[in-house]
Amino acid sequence: MRSRRAARRHRRARVSRLDSLIRRLQAQRACLVHAARLIGGVPGPIFEIGLGNGRTYDHLRALCPAREIFVFERRAPDEPGLGPGGRHLVLGDIRETVPAAASAAAARPALVHSDIGSGDSAGNARLAAALAGFLPGLLAPGGIALSDLALPGAGDWALPPPAGVAAGRYFLYRRP
Amino acid sequence: MSRLDINIRRLQAQRACLNLAAEYIGDLPGPVFELGLGNGRTYDHLREILPDREIFVFDREVAAHPDCIPDPAHLFLGDFQETLRRACARFAGTVALIHADVGSANAARDARLAAVIAGFLPALLRPCGVALSDRDVAFAGAEPVPAPASVAPQVYFLYRREAACEAAAPRAGTAGRG
Repeated sequence: MRSRRAARRHRRARVSRLDSLIRRLQAQRACLVHAARLIGGVPGPIFEIGLGNGRTYDHLRALCPAREIFVFERRAPDEPGLGPGGRHLVLGDIRETVPAAASAAAARPALVHSDIGSGDSAGNARLAAALAGFLPGLLAPGGIALSDLALPGAGDWALPPPAGVAAGRYFLYRRP
Repeated sequence: MSRLDINIRRLQAQRACLNLAAEYIGDLPGPVFELGLGNGRTYDHLREILPDREIFVFDREVAAHPDCIPDPAHLFLGDFQETLRRACARFAGTVALIHADVGSANAARDARLAAVIAGFLPALLRPCGVALSDRDVAFAGAEPVPAPASVAPQVYFLYRREAACEAAAPRAGTAGRG
């Protein structure tokens, strides 16, 4: 009986998928708030890479009402209204669309938020390598990159996550 | 409130209600029914907070994370009307907790589904058994029980089947624990 109780206690220590989703979204929100504060004095638009269900786009809009926000997606979302329209929705391969959008000095983003990782670790590694190749370099000076995938080679620019966010959950980089 | 804020609040409310419902049923015997598996998150949470309970899952089809799919003996696949009718034959008056996550963007569809589910609750729940849903599933013989203080009204609905309950532990919130 004792071992069964011990086993039950042990099992209860596991975090459910509901718990872990709540933690992930809370961490995401804390990082967005932190990043928005860090770019307070940095001019430039915000780039949102991956629209998904539009929740973080909506949160960025609430946090930074005076900033232009550009969303980069592979193809038009099924449900219109989740994100911006017109020239603020940029469709195509992010390896081309994102650098092109930041080519003029005034267009360099103060914040790039990228939430495009999936459960496929090999695919994530390829995505992270691709992002690391162009993303840190196109930021405005003092600009922030916030990514759910670590960007290999950008470690010199890494910042610790805000209080309450476990290391390794989100990755913050600041261009000097 | 951004849509990210709203989503976090909704998930926290869902978790708080599941945890409270598990407290409400205490040591009341009987299985748990999960109506609507979806991606399996609340099923996963229920099996964590109620590790010694049998959990039976009902859904039209399985679209959950592979780790959150019950074995075939605990899965009722098909239309709720049909699967709940079958379950009644086997579980009438024995179920301790029924969680129904039916909410969608289609209010008319949700209301129809909630009515179907509410129709089965008096037959399935044991006296003092608890029903939790994100849509109102008030049923004959249902006593509303308070949601967690942190949860806004009309977001989640908690009911307890009355009957023998009153004599055992009148309105103490510890009904069924003896």
